[in-house]
Amino acid sequence: MNSPFFFVAVVAGLGLAGLLFWALRGASQREGHEHGLGALDKAPRDLNNMPQIRQSMDPADFEFAKAKGGRYLENRLRRERRNVALLYLAAIRRDFEHSLRVARVIAVLSPEVLGSHEYERIRLAMIFRWRFQMTKARLLIGIIPQPQLLTVWQMAASIAMQMEETMAKLGERAALAAELALQSEQ
Amino acid sequence: MSQLPTLILITWGLATALTLFLLFRMLLLARYRTYPLFTLYLIANLLQTVVGIYLYQSYGFTTVNGYRIGWTTQAFVVVARGFAAAEICYRILGRYKGVWALAMRILIACGAIVLISTVYFGTRNYRLAVITLDMSLEAFIATWIVGLLLFARYYAVPVEPANRMISLGLGLLSCCKLLNDLVFERHVQAYLGTWNYVSSAAFVCVLLLWNWAMREPVTHTVREPQLNPAQVYHSLIPQVNQRLLELNQQLSQFWNTESSKP
Repeated sequence: MNSPFFFVAVVAGLGLAGLLFWALRGASQREGHEHGLGALDKAPRDLNNMPQIRQSMDPADFEFAKAKGGRYLENRLRRERRNVALLYLAAIRRDFEHSLRVARVIAVLSPEVLGSHEYERIRLAMIFRWRFQMTKARLLIGIIPQPQLLTVWQMAASIAMQMEETMAKLGERAALAAELALQSEQ
Repeated sequence: MSQLPTLILITWGLATALTLFLLFRMLLLARYRTYPLFTLYLIANLLQTVVGIYLYQSYGFTTVNGYRIGWTTQAFVVVARGFAAAEICYRILGRYKGVWALAMRILIACGAIVLISTVYFGTRNYRLAVITLDMSLEAFIATWIVGLLLFARYYAVPVEPANRMISLGLGLLSCCKLLNDLVFERHVQAYLGTWNYVSSAAFVCVLLLWNWAMREPVTHTVREPQLNPAQVYHSLIPQVNQRLLELNQQLSQFWNTESSKP
C-alpha cells in the first residue's frame, strides 16, 4: 500500500466516523416528518414587512436626516437601518428554508422521487446559501442594496405562496378522498 | 489457545457472552422477527467463535490452515454484517418508497466506488489480500450506514431508537475495523497484537451498545406514512427548483452588480 492511499484512506475512515456522529446527532435532534408536517400549517410571517423595509432604506430619508440633523444623525440612521436590513435578510432566509423543508416533506411522502430533481434542489440550495452569505457580507461592509433585497424578498415570497397554494390543493384532495372512503363504507 | 494473550481471551469471552445475552434477549422479546438478518449476523458471529476455538486448539494460532479458515469464516461474518446493514437501511427508509428508491441507487453506487477503489489501491500481496478485501467490505458497509443516516437527516425521516443504535453500532464497528485494517496492512508484524485488541475491544463496545438498544420490547412503532399521489411530486418539485434557480440568478446579479450607496 502506498503512502498517499494510506493517508487518504485514514482521513476517509475518520471522516466517515465523524459524519456518522454528525448525521446521527441530526437524526435524533430533528423531528420526524410527522411533526415536520406541522411546518405546512405555518405560513411564513416575515415576508409581509417588505414595504416598511423598503421605506427604511429610502435615500430620501437619509437626505432628510442629513439636512435636518447633520452627518452624525445620517450615519446613525444608516447604521441602524442597515442592522434592520440584516435582520430582514435573515428572516427571508428563514422563510426560504421553510419552503425547502416543505419541499422535503413532499419528497418524503411521494411514492416516486427523481434523483435529478433532488440533486438539483440540493445544488441550488447550496448555491443560495453561499450567495446569501456573500450578500450578507456586502451589507455588513456598508452597502445597502435596496433593489436586490426586494428581488430576494419577491423570490422567497413567491415560493412560499406557491407552496401554500399546493398544500391547500392537497388538503382539498385529502378531504375528498376521506369523504369518498366514508361514502363507500356506508 | 494458550498461545493467545490473556487479555485477548478475556475480550473474546466477553464478546461471546454479550452476543449470547443479546441473542437471548432478542428471542425473548421476539425482536428476531423485526431484525432477522441482524439476528443471523449475531449467530454467524457465534459460529465463528466456535470454529475459532476448534481451529486454534487443533492447528494453533499461527499456522497457515488456521489463517485460511479463520479468514474464510471472517468473510462470512462481514457479508452477514453487510446484509444486516442493508436490513437496517430498509427498516429506516423502506417505508418511504420514493426516497428509498433514490437512496438505494446512490448508496449502491457510492459503496461500489469505495469497494472498488479500496481493492484497486490496496495491497495485492497474497497474504494481505484478504485484509484488503475485508477492508473494502468494511468501507462499503460504513459508507452505506453513513449515507443512510445522511439521507434520514436530510429528509427528516424519523428513526426509531433501536434502529439508531444498531446503525450506530454497525457504522462504528466498520469504521474501527477499517482503520484497524489500514494500520495493520502498513505495519503488519509490529501491529498484530494491537490489531487483535482493538478489533475485539471495538466489538465488545458495540455489543454493549446493542444490548442497551434491545433492553426493552418495542412499545410503539412508527406509523406507515400515507403517500401522496405521484403527480404531486412531479408537478411541484420542478417548479420549486425553477424558483430556486431564478433566486440564485438574482443573487448572482446582486453579487456582480455594484450597488450604489443611497
